[in-house]
Amino acid sequence: MSTLVQYIPGESAFHRLDPRSKIIFMLLVTGVIFIVQNLWVAGAILFTLILLWFLAGLPLSILKGLGQATAGIMAFLVVVQALLYPGETVLVRPIIPSLVPLIGGAGRITLEGILFALLLSLRLMAMVILLPLVTITTPMHLFLLGLVRMGLPYRLAYTTTTALNLIPILQAEANTIADAQRLRAFRVFEKGNFLEKLKAYPALVTPLVIGAMRRAQLIAVAMDSRAFGATKDRTYIQDIQMRPMDWAFITCSVIYVALAGALNYLVL
Amino acid sequence: MNQPEPTIILDDVSYRYPRSRHYTLRHIDLTIYRGEFVAVLGENGAGKSTFCQTLNGVIPQSRGGRMRGRVIVGGLDTQQATVAELAQRVGIVLEDPETQIFTTSVLSEVAFGPENLGVPPPEIVRRAHWALRAVGLAGYEDRVPTALSGGQKQRLAIAAALTMHPAVLVLDEATSQLDPMGTVEVFSVVRELNRQYGLTIVMATNKGEQVAQFCDRVLVLHGGELIAQGTPREIFADTELLEQVMIRAPQVSQLATYLEERGVRLPDFPITPDEARQGIIHSIRGSK
Repeated sequence: MSTLVQYIPGESAFHRLDPRSKIIFMLLVTGVIFIVQNLWVAGAILFTLILLWFLAGLPLSILKGLGQATAGIMAFLVVVQALLYPGETVLVRPIIPSLVPLIGGAGRITLEGILFALLLSLRLMAMVILLPLVTITTPMHLFLLGLVRMGLPYRLAYTTTTALNLIPILQAEANTIADAQRLRAFRVFEKGNFLEKLKAYPALVTPLVIGAMRRAQLIAVAMDSRAFGATKDRTYIQDIQMRPMDWAFITCSVIYVALAGALNYLVL
Repeated sequence: MNQPEPTIILDDVSYRYPRSRHYTLRHIDLTIYRGEFVAVLGENGAGKSTFCQTLNGVIPQSRGGRMRGRVIVGGLDTQQATVAELAQRVGIVLEDPETQIFTTSVLSEVAFGPENLGVPPPEIVRRAHWALRAVGLAGYEDRVPTALSGGQKQRLAIAAALTMHPAVLVLDEATSQLDPMGTVEVFSVVRELNRQYGLTIVMATNKGEQVAQFCDRVLVLHGGELIAQGTPREIFADTELLEQVMIRAPQVSQLATYLEERGVRLPDFPITPDEARQGIIHSIRGSK
């Protein structure tokens, strides 16, 4: 199964950037995604990220996979916000009259609610694309080196990258468990309704967690055996270097984020 | 004649895991000499993995638990030396290739250990190329480790251990997840390292055919105790012992036992197909 965060070798300009440039870009864009309240600005950020995705030559299939993975959460957000957001422009009248205590007014859908839900969805989608955009274009050991060169202690940087490395492994393990269950005619995840699926999750999650714990223990043994954390003066066979292209990219990122932030407040 | 030099000494070693009242290893006394190729046989739960992990200090230093007795490897007491110091004496290869791959390229994978030790980069690159050549993976430097075959991944794990320049290489069921080709690949590389560089090998396995073909000495663990040791021929000829510990002898040895029970005795108890072939030809000629 293709994974959604694993490095894919490539020759694009984005691939060739120093990992630090991409990490700084990621932090800046994350910051602006958190503060943006304007629908158009959020849309523009998402559009820029998708544009970068294609400029980096990354596969559409992964983008689709990310979309599918977050579709459920986004649908939930839209429904909840549309129903609960306090807005003025009522599109659908409440099912329960507002005079009824506690639950009165429920079922009312407002334009503001739908717009807010849309804003949340755009921000969520942008966040979901941002991390893979960096991890798919950066070999994990260089990503780690980038974090270390930016001042993060090696152990912490290593833990971060290991967590990213574990995502595809856990994905594969979850698939194996699901296959094993399917072979024993357990088809709730394909045919069951929402409640049935919810009830069935422990059957999937329990072996996954136990397997992950066992794996973590073995990884620790393997890492100790290769002197992990033996010295503070760790060396690296590969080094990274900031080039003019990286400084230009960081400058553009700062301007872009500042512009997005300013537009967000001006339009508001 | 030169006395063989002891590399690993276990002095009455017993060990139990944290939160367990049951000792996984019991009173093990053992000396392994420099340049030996030793196989550790035993049924599941016999203590093979635990035994392997005592050799590089992961037990008890990282896993905790209670250890009695002493393990000395390359002159270092595994309870006193740091795991990093021990990592330069003992390299370990585990059963699951996936749990010992930490990076995204073959070169960076073999460099991981010496980088952790702070070895200067030019020296690491030199060691890495040597280790990859030694395991037959020269030219694979830029490959992604996860895309290698099972046998190649285990050879990569061996190369990764070799870059630490250990005197002892421990393989804990390192071929159990491999197909027959991958198994022979790993055994052949290990035998070559043993012969060419005098590396001491300790290999926990249950693959009788390969043990017979490649190993000098066999240790048999049962219920955490070292109940027998000897040459592969001595161990595989002892059918009572094999039944007790539920280990299968090489097929040719089983054939020899079968023939012996029916009154046909081969001149030497065979443990490899070649020996069996010669023994059977000899018996046929002798009976004519």
